[in-house]
Amino acid sequence: MLENSNPRDLKYVGKDARRSEGVEKLTGAAVYVSDMSLPGMLYAQVKKSPHARAKILGIDVSKAETLDGVRAVLTGAELNYRLGLYVVDKDILAKTEVRHYGEAVAAVAADTLEIAKKAVDLIEVRYEVLPPVLNHMDALKEGAPLVHPDLGKYDFVKAAFTPIPGTNIANQSKLRKGDVEKGFAESEWIIDREYTNPSVQHVPMETHVAIVEWKKGDDIVIWSSAQSPFTVRNLFCYAFKLPLNKVRVQIPHVGGGFGGKAGIHIEPLVACLSRKANGRPVKFQATREEEFSLLPCRSALTYRIKTGVSSDGKILAQRMWMYWDAGAYADYAVNVTRASGFSAAGPYEIPNAWIDAYTVYTNKPYGTAYRGFGHVEFHWGLERHMELVAQVIGMDSLEFRLKNALRPGSHTLTGEEITENTGNVVKCIESVASSIGYGKLSIDEKAREQKTGRKIGKGIAALHKAPAMPPFTATAVIIKMNSDGTVNVNVGLTEIGQGSTTAFAQIVAERLRFRLDQVKVTVEKDTDRDPYDWQTVASKGLILTGNACILACDDLLKQAYETAGQVLRANVCDLDHDDTRVFLKHHKSHGVTFASMSVGYAYSDGNAIGGPFVGVGRYTAQGLSNLDKETGQGNPALDWTYGAHGIVVEVDPETGEFKVLRVSSCFDVGKAINPELVRGQCIGGMVQGLGTAVCEGYIYDEKGRLLNPSFTDNKIPTARDIPDIIETSVVETPQLDGPFGARGVGEHPMISVAPALGNAIQHAVGAELTHMPIRAEDVWRAMLNKEAVDNWITKTPTGSCRSDPASRIHNPDSAALP
Amino acid sequence: MLHEFKYLAPRRRAELLDLIAEYGARAKVLAGGTDLLVNIRAGVMKPDFIVDAKKVESYSGVGRNDAGALVFWPATTINDVLQDARVRKDFPLLAACGHDLASYQIRNRATVIGNVVNASPCSDMAPALLCLGANAVIVSKKGERIVPFKEFFTGVKKTVLMADEILERIEVPAASAGVRGDYRKLKRINGHDLGIVGVALAIKDGKINFAISSAAPTPVLVEGLPEKIGADEAVAAVDKAISPISDVRCTKEYRAYMVSVYVRRLLQEVRG
Amino acid sequence: MKVRLTVNGGTYERDVEENSTLLRFLREDLGFTGTKEGCGAGECGACTVFMNGKTINSCMVLAVEADGASIETIEGEAKGGSLSAIQEAFDKHHAVQCGFCTSGMIMSVKELLQRNAKPTVDEIKEGIEGNFCRCTGYEQIVEAVLDVSGQKIVKGDINHA
Repeated sequence: MLENSNPRDLKYVGKDARRSEGVEKLTGAAVYVSDMSLPGMLYAQVKKSPHARAKILGIDVSKAETLDGVRAVLTGAELNYRLGLYVVDKDILAKTEVRHYGEAVAAVAADTLEIAKKAVDLIEVRYEVLPPVLNHMDALKEGAPLVHPDLGKYDFVKAAFTPIPGTNIANQSKLRKGDVEKGFAESEWIIDREYTNPSVQHVPMETHVAIVEWKKGDDIVIWSSAQSPFTVRNLFCYAFKLPLNKVRVQIPHVGGGFGGKAGIHIEPLVACLSRKANGRPVKFQATREEEFSLLPCRSALTYRIKTGVSSDGKILAQRMWMYWDAGAYADYAVNVTRASGFSAAGPYEIPNAWIDAYTVYTNKPYGTAYRGFGHVEFHWGLERHMELVAQVIGMDSLEFRLKNALRPGSHTLTGEEITENTGNVVKCIESVASSIGYGKLSIDEKAREQKTGRKIGKGIAALHKAPAMPPFTATAVIIKMNSDGTVNVNVGLTEIGQGSTTAFAQIVAERLRFRLDQVKVTVEKDTDRDPYDWQTVASKGLILTGNACILACDDLLKQAYETAGQVLRANVCDLDHDDTRVFLKHHKSHGVTFASMSVGYAYSDGNAIGGPFVGVGRYTAQGLSNLDKETGQGNPALDWTYGAHGIVVEVDPETGEFKVLRVSSCFDVGKAINPELVRGQCIGGMVQGLGTAVCEGYIYDEKGRLLNPSFTDNKIPTARDIPDIIETSVVETPQLDGPFGARGVGEHPMISVAPALGNAIQHAVGAELTHMPIRAEDVWRAMLNKEAVDNWITKTPTGSCRSDPASRIHNPDSAALP
Repeated sequence: MLHEFKYLAPRRRAELLDLIAEYGARAKVLAGGTDLLVNIRAGVMKPDFIVDAKKVESYSGVGRNDAGALVFWPATTINDVLQDARVRKDFPLLAACGHDLASYQIRNRATVIGNVVNASPCSDMAPALLCLGANAVIVSKKGERIVPFKEFFTGVKKTVLMADEILERIEVPAASAGVRGDYRKLKRINGHDLGIVGVALAIKDGKINFAISSAAPTPVLVEGLPEKIGADEAVAAVDKAISPISDVRCTKEYRAYMVSVYVRRLLQEVRG
Repeated sequence: MKVRLTVNGGTYERDVEENSTLLRFLREDLGFTGTKEGCGAGECGACTVFMNGKTINSCMVLAVEADGASIETIEGEAKGGSLSAIQEAFDKHHAVQCGFCTSGMIMSVKELLQRNAKPTVDEIKEGIEGNFCRCTGYEQIVEAVLDVSGQKIVKGDINHA
């Protein structure tokens, strides 16, 4: 779909416009599922496991069932449904064993929240506690407890994933390009390092919440704070073996998603409670503590990279090992592994590559989709690695990046050729480097160092990401014209704050050549009424739904022109239009209004022609392919969005405390449909990236209990944590098949923030950090070459999630791995 | 809030003291609620009675007694203290400890007394009160007793308060007006956070006092060091008095190190 | 227990459980759902409202404590069908994304400007420190506050590289 060649000045696209749903949010009128209450509604609470791994010997619900006001109690024994996006490995409630701290083992629906809580306290569960496997590297060892001994019996998506039964490996993704051993043999230097990230939580301001009503006859209504209404419906129906048209999913305003609400989570449990409570609607809202443990997080990662470099600084070969800590269930993690696997080397040309990426089960809260879909995590390792490699070979790291960056004619890891229009990562890198004055300190900066005694360092990091989505992803848009010439636009893509509603309104107004105030894009989603959209993830919405909007506009106008042609007794090719009427190009006063045609045109004698104008546009990703399971070669990428971050940091050389003075970001967005919305994503994502870099991370004890399940000890950035100076830029290399040349940028602003910071700190004080988050203490230890403190553990001298340091020299070539 | 309790809001001091005497350990005094309600929600505290101290006349605001001492009452909030002209002028250490305590909304409710009455080792106000030689005025139906703050905390979350007593006033002596001092607080982010460690310094009557939070089972006072004490000696004296632990927030090594850094920097900054 | 208070100038009298928070009372008993719950523990500020002229986290106040009080919430901010100056500035500067933190955020901004008509950037950040936002990264909120207080904004726009 090509729409970027019209030379006429754009009226709405490329310009600022107020957020479509801004006023209702500003006045407190926007309704979220958190705010909703239905007649006869019950409140649900969940009994959660205090153990990371245990057999359930018995559950006694008798006292809960007899409490006044309790209407339904459920345990896993009565629910024989399995769930799983890609590997069907999860029960709605734990049946015979619990696999992570905080896992749901029973649930109650009652007249009030208080009664439900009391009832949960009255449920008695007898456990046989078993030793958990907590560190994913330990989970790979011979003899490690198996989180899913029945892995071999589970259904899974064969086209994309390879679980390994009898192990804790939920998936292995491979990529083989060229001949790495030959490449290493020809290399002047070989640098082999390892990098780690902990799990973090999305922390949407609105926790997960759903209301489900399981009516008689199996008509089911689900209200959910969710990102993907059709995925909720489809997975729900798959699990319960229901036809899709029996289940209606509705989503009003959503208080943030960030990937945590991309799939299906609490809806099936709530639905089962409603069914057991005789069809009364049931509401469950996670507390913030439950959001951190019952609901999923982002997988932790250990990333080992071995790079061979030629004498003139070109990367000849790279071998990569990714170990993703999926937690207790595979959920999205197997796809994070796959999607990261084909992107693992970043925006650089690697002629010979070998990647083994593993999704590893452990007994911890499980990882789901999270903004960046693995890319925030692996770019930490990758862009720190590029910096360290440059250091070893004695080349400036900016020069090293530019030397190896993907350019037109390059090939990606999967064998895709980069063209003039793929995007310009070189320009992004150069833009941020220039913006922060990379490579030297200014006079002011030097003076500041003198005055404060603190050291200033500058670092950059590049990034790339393509949408991680099925190669056949599709969407549709419906535009209905009202009898006054205004239009209502239905899209399946969900507004989670990213501004899609506004962007689509601008695109439709532009394409129809209508005024923006004539266009209303619906915010609330309803699978009964809205056309299909796969999911609101992956930064693919702008391209796919944007294109579908354009096609729907064209379809609508075609209908209007057809009717107008008859009314005006003119050739359709001689017609033009403006925001109110269709008219003859050569005789403008001879025309007919949209309003008079929009629901059918009536002649003066009463005869009618035409009919309600309903424009339909559908857009399916074209030319993409699955990846070969052995070689990882194929064409998976709808598009590539490139970018870079530059950071100026000031470090106290005595304490390791640091302050980010300045962040500069640049993304090749193809076309900024609304520059202010793009800026909002750039800044919001950057701050979320800083959070993951500096203060976020799950901490467990040796028994696998989460020690920081609340804001007291799981911190996120506040307004006082943002840099003094934030600069955002865009490059606009048109995406030829994007709407007005646009490509997505929703996830990317989070991606290379952490390594840019790590690189800047290294430039400032020489501290070489290879793990996240980067706290003051970590910088202090790294400066003094003290042993790093495991970020995941506490209370014991040696820690929990990490195995004994002496034994933690993992050797991926050993027999323990297939 | 799951736990059920009876809420009582006496309007007179005598009534409040009667209630505390009658219900003792079954009751908790409610001031700002920013600690108590968090604990009740978490199921950590389950009082049968909540006695709201805020409706008692004279229990609010920043006062002054006959001896010219600064007086904090049960309902005196952190923001009351920060906005008080006399505090800003004469008791800068109180302001230094209060200004980075939690967030603005919390400071509108959190009280000075509430910040210290549960003997939390990470209290931000305790270091100032210790350094300035404040007194705890403990009151019950039976009468009144005064305990210097350095004797108020007895162990982890323990104070000298008996079940039938309340901490009614904190008095900061007039003699501490004009005392130079400052507070350094280590946090995990620049935004609102509990103190990972905190060090206050005050130069009073030609002597140096240090008080340290989050580095021992209670807030700790190291008092009466010679004004000209060398930095290394000061660090050693403070180090001897603290016993930091490793927990989810920090290792004991870094805590101890940062205390020493703050001791040096405060000496440099306040004393010169 | 009986509670009688005013919310946005209107008087309300209800029976309430002693262990109910002001937040829950406003949202569920009175239907003022504009104020949100983000954590229930006084950390995130989504529940910020005015009580007797001061901003507080309503999840940390019992409804019974608010007997006789005057409460202001987001629902009272726009008057006569028009957005307030703060709301208009937020709209103009894209200080809203998912909107869940917005109600509390606006209350804190309002409070800040009442006591400091021309806050510096640092003062603005301190003023909204107790209001978490996960979407915007705060910068555009700061810009909205600078604008509504009649101050200049530096570096407000996205560049084209």
